[in-house]
Amino acid sequence: MQNIPVAITGVGQTRFKIHHADKTYVELAQDAARLALDHAGLEPGEIDAVVFSMAPTQFMGINDADRWAVEHIWGEDKPFMRVHTGGATGGSALQAAYYHVASGLYRNVLVVGADRVAETPDAQHILNLIWDRFYEFDFALNTVTMAAMAGQRHMHRYGVTQEQCARVVVRARRHAQKNPYAHLKGDITVDDVLNSPIISWPLRRFDICPRSSGAAALVVSDLSTARRSTTKPAFINGVSSITHTVFMGDRMGYRAEADLSDHDAFIRAAQECYHQAGIVDPAKQIQVAELYDPFSFFQFPQLESLGFCGRGEAAGISDQGGFDPGGLVAVNLSGGTLCTNPIGVTGLVRVADAALQVMGDAGENQQQDVHNAVATSIGGSTQFLTCTILGDDHIGRK
Amino acid sequence: MKTYVLNLAIHPPATRIGGKRLEELVFDVTRQALAAAGVEREEVDNVTIAGCDELDGRSISSMLLAMPAGAYMKDEIKCTDTGLYALLLGAMRIESGLHDIGLVVSWNKSSTAPFEDVMLMRCDPFFVRPVGLNASIADGLFAQAMAGKFGITEDEANEATLRAYARAVHNTRAVDRGIPTPAGIANSPYVSFPLRQGHQAPLTDGAVAMVLVSERWLARHPQYQPLARLAGFGWRTDGYSLGADRLSNLRSLHRCIEDASKRAGLHGLDDVDVLEFDCQTGYHAAAYSRALGLAEDARVGPSGGAFAQNPYFCTGLVNAAEAVLQVSGTAGAVQVPGARRALAHASHGFAQQANGAAIFEKVN
Repeated sequence: MQNIPVAITGVGQTRFKIHHADKTYVELAQDAARLALDHAGLEPGEIDAVVFSMAPTQFMGINDADRWAVEHIWGEDKPFMRVHTGGATGGSALQAAYYHVASGLYRNVLVVGADRVAETPDAQHILNLIWDRFYEFDFALNTVTMAAMAGQRHMHRYGVTQEQCARVVVRARRHAQKNPYAHLKGDITVDDVLNSPIISWPLRRFDICPRSSGAAALVVSDLSTARRSTTKPAFINGVSSITHTVFMGDRMGYRAEADLSDHDAFIRAAQECYHQAGIVDPAKQIQVAELYDPFSFFQFPQLESLGFCGRGEAAGISDQGGFDPGGLVAVNLSGGTLCTNPIGVTGLVRVADAALQVMGDAGENQQQDVHNAVATSIGGSTQFLTCTILGDDHIGRK
Repeated sequence: MKTYVLNLAIHPPATRIGGKRLEELVFDVTRQALAAAGVEREEVDNVTIAGCDELDGRSISSMLLAMPAGAYMKDEIKCTDTGLYALLLGAMRIESGLHDIGLVVSWNKSSTAPFEDVMLMRCDPFFVRPVGLNASIADGLFAQAMAGKFGITEDEANEATLRAYARAVHNTRAVDRGIPTPAGIANSPYVSFPLRQGHQAPLTDGAVAMVLVSERWLARHPQYQPLARLAGFGWRTDGYSLGADRLSNLRSLHRCIEDASKRAGLHGLDDVDVLEFDCQTGYHAAAYSRALGLAEDARVGPSGGAFAQNPYFCTGLVNAAEAVLQVSGTAGAVQVPGARRALAHASHGFAQQANGAAIFEKVN
C-alpha cells in the first residue's frame, strides 16, 4: 500500500472583498497562484499538475472560467482538473490534489481557484437553482432559508439562544481584524448582531456570511519537495469526505441516519480522518480548527460532531471562551466563513488558514504550539462534508 | 499500476431517453454496475463522479445525482471536465492506498440541454463570446487547421465518418440508426466550413458506471475476476486561446498518450490492440489517425465511438468502457480478436483544449 507523505508547502490568498474591479477572474486566480508558488519557493515549471477549485459557474456567468484561466495560472501543457462540490469545493479540491501526490504520480500540485460571488445580481437566486426542480424550486428555498430551518431545529433541540450565536459573530469579526485577507472585520457587539435585520428567522444579517470575491491557492507536495522548499510544511495526515442525501426532510425523524441540525455526518468523516492521522482525543491533540461556518450557529454542531465536546455543549463552552485562543481549541482565528465567503474557494481558504497555523506563518493570528489543525467544508444542502487534518509531522497510515 | 476494473455498466443509449429522470438514469446504470460486479453498495468505500452542471441544467448537479450514483454516506468527489476524468481521479484514490473499492459514474442527457447555448457560455465575455463561438464553430476551426496541417480533404472526412457509422452498426451498445449514404454526408449543409452537419457525431443520452478495485482488495477476494487492469493513464491541457498553433499542434493529445503509455510500460501505440478516440466529427477521426500514424488502421474505433453513442460529456467514459470490454473479450460483435491492450481517449474544452487517455490491459 502506498503511504507517501503529502504536505502543503505554499499558501496564497488575495484580499477578499465585494468586488475586485481592477482584475478579471483569471487575473485573480493568477495572483493567488503566484503567492502560493512564492510561499513554496517554487517556480511555475516545477508544478506537475493543477487542480482547479470552482463551484457554480453561474456566479461568473462563464461556463469555462477554469479553462480560461489555464494560461494565467501556468497550467498549459499540464494535467489540469476541475473539482466542484458546491460550498465544499475547496475542501474536495485539496483532497483531489492530495490523491495526485499520494498516488505517487505527481510531486507538486497547485490547487487554485477564485470566485466573484458578488458579481451575480443575486447569489441566492443562483442558489435557488441548486434544488430539485419538481419539489423544492418553487418555495423560496436557498442557502439562507435552508440554514435558517436547520438553525431553528438546532436551537430548539439544545436550547441555544440567538445571543449565543451572536457571540460567535462578535468573536469572528474580532479575529478577522488580524487577518489581512478577511472581508468583514471589526469590533461589533452582541447587540449589533441582535439588532441587525432578520433575513430568515433566526438568522439576522450579521449571522450570515458576506458574498466575497477573491482567490486562494495551495501547493501540495511530496516529502522531498516539502523538506526542500520549506522548513515547516503542513502535512496532510487525514482526508475524508461524506456525502449525505440532498433531501433535508430525510435528515430528520426516527428513520434518519443523521440529523440535519447536528451536522452529524461529520462524525463519520472525522472518525476516518482521525484514524488516518492518529488522533484519539481531538480536544487534546488538535490546537486549531478552521470550520466552514457561513452561518453563526454552524460552529456548534460541527465542534460537537468533530468530538471536541458533547452534543449540545458547544454553545455553553463558546460562552466561556472555550473556542478562543488558549481554550479547548482555537476556532476560526482567521474570522472564518462568517467573515469571508468566496464560495468556490472557501473550503480552500479554511485549509489555507489551518496550514498557515501549522506552518507558523499565520502572522498576528498565530497560535502557539500548533501541532495539529482540522479544516472542514460544507456544500450543497449541507450534504457534502469534507474533513482534513494537518500536522507538523507526517503520520504514517497504519 | 494496481487499479482494476471489476465490472461496469453502459446504459442503453438513445437520442432521447424520455422515460427516465436523470436521477433514474444514473441510479439504473450504477445499480447495474454493482450487480455485474457482484458487490453491494455498502462495500464501496469511495465514489468519484463526473458531471456537467450546465448540461444537466442545475447549479450543483451532484446534489441530486450523487445519491443515485451510490454516494449516500460515502466519500465522494465530483470533477467536471469529462467523464473519463472521474475514472482517472477514482484510480488515483485507489493508487493512494487509502481506498480499495470505488464507483466511477458519469452521465449526460444531451437531449434536454440547449447544447450550443451552453457551449457559447463557455467563452470569456470580453473577446470570444461576442464572436459567437460555439462547439460547431470551434470544431470547424479545428477542421480547417487539420486540413491545412495534414491536407485532410472533405472526402477523407466523409470516409472517416462513414467508417465510424459502419462500425457502430455492429455495436449492440450503439444507438440503432443505420449508416447514412455517402451523398447524405457529402451534401449535408455546412455548419462551419469545412465542417458539414453530416460530419458531426449526433448527440445522445447515456451513462456509464464502473467498479474499481485495488490489487489489495482482489488479493482479499480471490473469488472475483476483474475485467481489466488499468495499466496507465494521463491527461494534459492546452491553452484557452484558439490561435493557429493551439488549433493545429495537438500537443495535449500527444502528451496524454505519452504519459499513459509510459505508465503502462509501453513504447508507443504499436503495443496497443484497440484505440477508442473521442471523435466528435469525421475531421477529428481523420486528424487523430494522421497525427498518430494510424491511418486505415483496423484497431481504431471498433465500437463506432461517438457515432455509436455520444452522451457528450460522458463519451470518454463510454470509450473507456468499450476498451475494458475489448480486453476482457466481451465486446460482442465489435470484438477485436486477441485484444490485450486497449486505449480510451477523451477530449474536452473548445477544439480539444484538453485530452485524457487510459490504457487497459487484459487480466490473465
